Amino acid sequence: MIDVRVAGCIVLLLLWTGMRTADAAPLDEAAERYRPYMIEGIGDALTGARALRERAAAKDLAGAKKAWISARAGWERSEVFTAGFVPELDSRIDAWPNADSGFHAIEAKLFGAGRADVESDADALVEHLNNLHGKLHDMALTPQGLLDGTVRLAYEVGESKADGGESRISGTSLDDMCNNVAGIDFAYRTIFADALKAADAKLADTVASRIEQLKASVAAPDLPHVDIRTLRRASEELVVALQAASARLGLPRPTLEALSR
Amino acid sequence: MMVRRACIAALVAALGFGLLIAGAHDRLAAFPIDGDQTALPPKTELNEDALDKPREVFRSEIAGGKSYLINLGNLAFGSPSILGDVARQAGMSCGTCHVNGAGNAKFFMPKMSTRPGNFDTTGSLFNPKANNFVLDPVRIPSLRGARTLAPYGVDGRMPSLRDFVHNVIVNEFSGPEPSPAILDAIVAYIQDIDFLPNPSLGPGGHLVGKTSESERRGEALFAKPFPHDPGLSCAGCHVPSGAFADHQQHDVGSGGLFKTPTLRNADFNAPYFHDGRFDSYDQVVAHFDRIFDLGLSAQDRRDLVAYLTAVGDGTLPYEHDGAGGSLKEINEFASVLATAIPAGDKDVVALAVDTIGHELRELTERYPDRKNTSVSGGEQERGHARTALKEVVLTLRRIDMAVTEGRISDASADYRIYRSLMAAAVPALLAGAEPWSLFNPAVHDQHYGALRQVMQSRHTSQ
Repeated sequence: MIDVRVAGCIVLLLLWTGMRTADAAPLDEAAERYRPYMIEGIGDALTGARALRERAAAKDLAGAKKAWISARAGWERSEVFTAGFVPELDSRIDAWPNADSGFHAIEAKLFGAGRADVESDADALVEHLNNLHGKLHDMALTPQGLLDGTVRLAYEVGESKADGGESRISGTSLDDMCNNVAGIDFAYRTIFADALKAADAKLADTVASRIEQLKASVAAPDLPHVDIRTLRRASEELVVALQAASARLGLPRPTLEALSR
Repeated sequence: MMVRRACIAALVAALGFGLLIAGAHDRLAAFPIDGDQTALPPKTELNEDALDKPREVFRSEIAGGKSYLINLGNLAFGSPSILGDVARQAGMSCGTCHVNGAGNAKFFMPKMSTRPGNFDTTGSLFNPKANNFVLDPVRIPSLRGARTLAPYGVDGRMPSLRDFVHNVIVNEFSGPEPSPAILDAIVAYIQDIDFLPNPSLGPGGHLVGKTSESERRGEALFAKPFPHDPGLSCAGCHVPSGAFADHQQHDVGSGGLFKTPTLRNADFNAPYFHDGRFDSYDQVVAHFDRIFDLGLSAQDRRDLVAYLTAVGDGTLPYEHDGAGGSLKEINEFASVLATAIPAGDKDVVALAVDTIGHELRELTERYPDRKNTSVSGGEQERGHARTALKEVVLTLRRIDMAVTEGRISDASADYRIYRSLMAAAVPALLAGAEPWSLFNPAVHDQHYGALRQVMQSRHTSQ
């Protein structure tokens, strides 16, 4: 059995063989253009969480569910950056399956047990999101980190949802996926599309068409009608294209897990 | 779900439960499909997360190695792609029911099963055109030794295994017409699945070695003519010299004519009879005693059960599921690429990439990400394992894209990378993460226990 660290190095060496790098493109300014979207997404999640807290205090189960779904939408659009830039908060806000706070803990009570007494959970969610929202104006954004997040999310969208997906209790996993794809689409167009078009127009077309395929794949009336095979192909082909794009953009190969480089 | 209707009926059929799955019973049952956003009925149990999997024994491995055809059949057998929309969406393949070529005693699908281990192949879910509007599930049979067990179907209506497999794919599961090559490959794979060896069985199916008094008395009773119909005996249908079957159909008081099932390895094939109505040999023997008025004493029944248990035994029926087993199977699947890539066989490459990618993504989920509350520690190790598996998935996808575009040399280069990764680096990274993976029984139970608890709250409130 070979050493784990050696094994990791072998993986990277094999995969980097034959890859070429190009001059780094001026992506830092482009990454800054993503900041308002990031702030808006988490802002929407925070607004939804505050509404959820209010509805929970009023013992309004239907209203609390609606607010949870609204908060969730803003969060899922933001997953391009959450795992990579704020991993601790990401783990608190989106832990599963039986978290003691966060989205899925609240989901289990609202949609699972049919209970509206989620005030303390909602308090914690608001606090975490508020904390995150406060960091976003000054957080250092790197093109590499945002490309890593885009690639990771593109891969994740292609995972099997045969078991009902991440938000199976509320039945909103397809909403999660649609918002993930919207986040991927926006991040790519805002940060990377122009630079890639200048470096390799054909590859830029390929990435754009793969994103369109991903959008088409999740445009279904419900999760059972999403063609999982087509979705997975679109997801993986997009990741392959973005891996190729990283070299053309002068960036290291994107990571597939939120690990330190 | 190939020879779903094969085997069953006459005397016993198979047992299984008690003895060997004891280890599995200690574990929490696997998490069922649930929620209202799945292709399968809520509360479906596929038992895909069981930590103990039936052991596979292949005739060709004893002879030296599997052929391309058998590996292709194994691949197709494990692929949802060859079945219809519902099965594909649910990620179900032939191997979902026939786990490693054996049965699946815990499989349960509401409205399609009446008990764990059976399934209505003529229900409306997978192919509405095949719906006979009767809930008539049949036991999910083991395929071990199927090449010696013609005819096929619980009622033995099909002499050809190839025709039977075709019927399962196209009619029962509404799959697209399979190519002749794929059909031949699946048949070759099934015919390669052997019985588990049973050292207690000697030539002619006689008990040998260290046998108990009870087993010997049971063997004599088994061959003894029935008191009210001397032309009949247990051994008359379950012919010991013929894999304990006679390839005929009989009415044994279970509601019609059904094929005599083999008793070999039957300890691991419960539930018994064509519809899986009996859980144990005790129940089966009691049924025959009643139907044929055998006049068995309590001791006679115990002796027959002892004999059946000895006949139905097999060496190492289960093995612990781990990364090693998964990678071995994946590499066997992937071996078809060595032939299909140079040949530019787009269909086989696509089938392999689709099926192996699905398996690898499932394997990735055995290493929980850091948001999972069921496990703490090993975060780096889990991350490395997940990264490595994802890189393999993407390497395979590049192969598929290259072959589709006619770039055979690129595909061959990526296949070499795939083989290098899978030879040492990936196994090492998975082994390094195993203590924090779902292959660790403690983590497994914590994870699925948490999921089950969360989902149960949903049912409690409804």
